[in-house]
Amino acid sequence: MTGKSLDIPARPYTGEKSRLSRAYDYLILVLALFLFIGSFHLHVALTVGDWDFWQDWKDRQWWPLITPLMMITFPAAVQAVLWPNFRLPLGATLCISCLLIGTWITRFFAYHMWNFFPINEVLPATMLPSALVLDAILMLSNSLTVTSIFGGMAFALLFYPTNWPIFGMFHVPVEYGGAQLTVADLFGFQYIRAGTPEYLRIIERGTLRTYGQYATPLSAFCSALLCTLMYPLWWYLGKAFATTKYVKNI
Amino acid sequence: MSTTAQTISQSTPQAPFNLPWYLRDLPKYLLTFGVMTVIYVGFRMYQGAYAISTGLDSSDPAFDVHWMRLLYLEGAFLLIVFPTLWGYVWFTRDRNLDKITPKEEITRYFTLTMWISIYTFAVYWAGSYFAEQDNSWHQVSVRDTPFTANHIIEFYFNFPFYILMGGSAWLYARTRLPLYAEGISLPLTLAVVGPFMIFVSVGFNEWGHTFWFREEFFAAPIHWGFVTGVWFALGVGGILLQQVMRLIQLLDQIEDAA
Repeated sequence: MTGKSLDIPARPYTGEKSRLSRAYDYLILVLALFLFIGSFHLHVALTVGDWDFWQDWKDRQWWPLITPLMMITFPAAVQAVLWPNFRLPLGATLCISCLLIGTWITRFFAYHMWNFFPINEVLPATMLPSALVLDAILMLSNSLTVTSIFGGMAFALLFYPTNWPIFGMFHVPVEYGGAQLTVADLFGFQYIRAGTPEYLRIIERGTLRTYGQYATPLSAFCSALLCTLMYPLWWYLGKAFATTKYVKNI
Repeated sequence: MSTTAQTISQSTPQAPFNLPWYLRDLPKYLLTFGVMTVIYVGFRMYQGAYAISTGLDSSDPAFDVHWMRLLYLEGAFLLIVFPTLWGYVWFTRDRNLDKITPKEEITRYFTLTMWISIYTFAVYWAGSYFAEQDNSWHQVSVRDTPFTANHIIEFYFNFPFYILMGGSAWLYARTRLPLYAEGISLPLTLAVVGPFMIFVSVGFNEWGHTFWFREEFFAAPIHWGFVTGVWFALGVGGILLQQVMRLIQLLDQIEDAA
């Protein structure tokens, strides 16, 4: 039976059926755009938040660890729906693109235009290269295991090098008031925020400096390990939420 | 099959402006998008005009004039709109769901997708723009009230408004589509109830903030109630699968009948 049915060539929709399904696609695209901007952005803002908002929070220890770890979540969950059911290898890129649209709108209109923070102080990081690689690995391997291990690791390890061209210039050392600090730190001290005490408590607490310049790659590899675990966890979470069940009572 | 063909030919849904029959509600959808955009952009412009001049000190009499009055107006608006819209959707429900044609059912699936799209548009303003803007505001103002110039928009208008839209989508599906009337769609319920819990989390969040008001750490655990609520929006994937499976069946029925 199976062999026989495979012999029947696939018939693409034509005529009104085709136009109808294309109109439905466009409706879903608009829906998905606002869904992922709204939901994924809230998830990221309240978990990665401060590290992504502020230039001076982009440190060597927490930023490369937390950002990929929290941002691989929705991409994995959306891939779990779009790849097995529709063979669309774009779940991660879709989520990250929506996130970037949302963050850029907010950084400009809510931070720069409303409270006058310089736009350079509130530049968002990008996970777009990581997302493209994650989608490509899933498409080429068609394997949850391979994508978890190699895709998850690549997602985290690519984060720092792909963001360095954007943020490297703000880590140039300057001398200010007799002390050495970075341009990013200078932003923070010039534009005092209510969160400045938290910044000092978490970022500048002066511990864990044993390894000097090795802190960043260590954080990145720690993130890579955790992303290999986070990816399948969120894949199954995405599948669970995308249930097609109908129930009698709620 | 011939019976089905007759039924289909007798009652093709009519759409305005020479639109295809399945896009009958497209004008209403676009109009709702337009009205909501005007409301949200209007709120942002109001904040731009009055937040710095009158919204920094909740004990200032000008705060009462410009912000508390806005809160009461929002409350009155929502008190009217909630029962009106949900009541309308409920009382105009289809009582002959077993008799609708495949074309009518397809049209209603398109309309349900539009409802959910409007819901996600409301989620965008609540979960993305005004949510992160709240961090921006807390960095420059001292938190001396739960009714700040941004909370009054975000918590007490945006959150109830997307609940209104999500609830309407749920009610529409339950009252106008046979599959959703026979059983309660689990993914649709998750996608509506989960984000509803974000509104409930406001209580936990504000309770936490009664202990401190100056230091602002946006990724703090006190905010993670909002995070778990928004995960349930992933239920939309299940709604998509339910709809696609049913649409394929209905399209095949129409094709067979032609």
